Amino acid sequence: MKVEAIDYGDRKVYSVGAFNRGVSSWLSRLPTVWVEGEVTELRRQARWASVFFTLKDPQDGSCLGVSMPRGQFDGLRLELADGDRVHVYGRPELFEARGEFRLRALSLERFGLGEHLAALERLKRKLADEGLFAAERKRSLPLLPKRIGLVTGNDAAAKRDVLTAITTRFPPANVLVAETYVQGPRAAGAVAEALRALCREGVDVVVVARGGGSFEDLLPFSEERLVRAIADCPVPVVSAVGHEQDTPLCDLAADMRASTPSVAGRLVVPDLAQLLERLDRSHSGLERGARRSLERERQRLERTHERLGRAPRLLLERGRARLEQSAGRLRALSPKATLERGYAIVRSGDEIVRSGRAVEAGERVDVELAEGGFGARVEETR
Amino acid sequence: MTFEEAQRELEQIVQRLESGEAPLDEALKLWERGEELHRFCKERLDAAEGKIEELAGRANAAKP
Repeated sequence: MKVEAIDYGDRKVYSVGAFNRGVSSWLSRLPTVWVEGEVTELRRQARWASVFFTLKDPQDGSCLGVSMPRGQFDGLRLELADGDRVHVYGRPELFEARGEFRLRALSLERFGLGEHLAALERLKRKLADEGLFAAERKRSLPLLPKRIGLVTGNDAAAKRDVLTAITTRFPPANVLVAETYVQGPRAAGAVAEALRALCREGVDVVVVARGGGSFEDLLPFSEERLVRAIADCPVPVVSAVGHEQDTPLCDLAADMRASTPSVAGRLVVPDLAQLLERLDRSHSGLERGARRSLERERQRLERTHERLGRAPRLLLERGRARLEQSAGRLRALSPKATLERGYAIVRSGDEIVRSGRAVEAGERVDVELAEGGFGARVEETR
Repeated sequence: MTFEEAQRELEQIVQRLESGEAPLDEALKLWERGEELHRFCKERLDAAEGKIEELAGRANAAKP
């Protein structure tokens, strides 16, 4: 629409009506969108063509006037009351006669707990189908984290609980805390950004902790961008959001879920006292083991050495015994023993006489006895 | 030579001696070698014990 201005020299001036028409035509080019808020100041009168109410942002109190054709509004039979949460589908509009900006509603839906739950359920199914919650995606936590990241609210009891649990179990723990919004429309983006910031600082595990709260308080922890940020986090994430019965979607995407912030703290660090005790036990076992094996080798060597000392003597004794035996046999074989029994050896010259035919009568022979001997002459032969 | 090698040779020598198959000359030589091996093994064990005492002492000193 062409808006006519009046020229006063070099100044262009618009009438109020022209200005409003101009702005109105600009606004009409904006797209139709969904806006969420709480219904307040609902005004409806039989003689008005439209129904009016103010849409209020429950987080920061921002207000937006809304108008909707009365017939259409009544047809919805929403029975809206002040404070009801609604989704309004409409486009911005300027009420030209009064220069008032408002949202022209084309459609209106109550958005209560049920709708919230349904939307959550749809998101949950979609992310599950993508495999974001799959068990095989879960990483195990580091046994001894070098640096622990903690994302939490700035004055939260959750923060204190996590820190207390960590330092009680493992006093030298290095914890990097990122304080951020944990509630409201900015929370999801802020927590996701805090996660990324902590990872840049080189943490090797992150705890996201938030104490209990209303269903709506915990909603940011089910927002898609935060759930994805947790799933994409390069280090394992422990989620401790809300109470046991709340299961925000970030719990499903996290590598481990803790029922409370204290439990999360205990999960990410080992018990130092226990660790030291175990180390001590292994250490004394080490010394005992070394001594035992030394003692074993010593005894073995000693036994072998004893056997070594005995062996040659044994050998000698055996040799000596064998020698004795041979001497015995030698002695048994010598003629001396025979002579003792009364036998005599008769020699003719150097020859031993074994037969009567070997000598002749009158021949001289030597007779050897056990003791001494004598010469003799043969009388006769037989 | 390692402790285990010396130990093994020593035990083989003792077995040979105990079998009584070695002639006396060889037996004496084996005995001599056996004593040598025994000395070597004992030195190794003494050194190991010294090392254990040293480490244990150092570990005790490090304890708070």
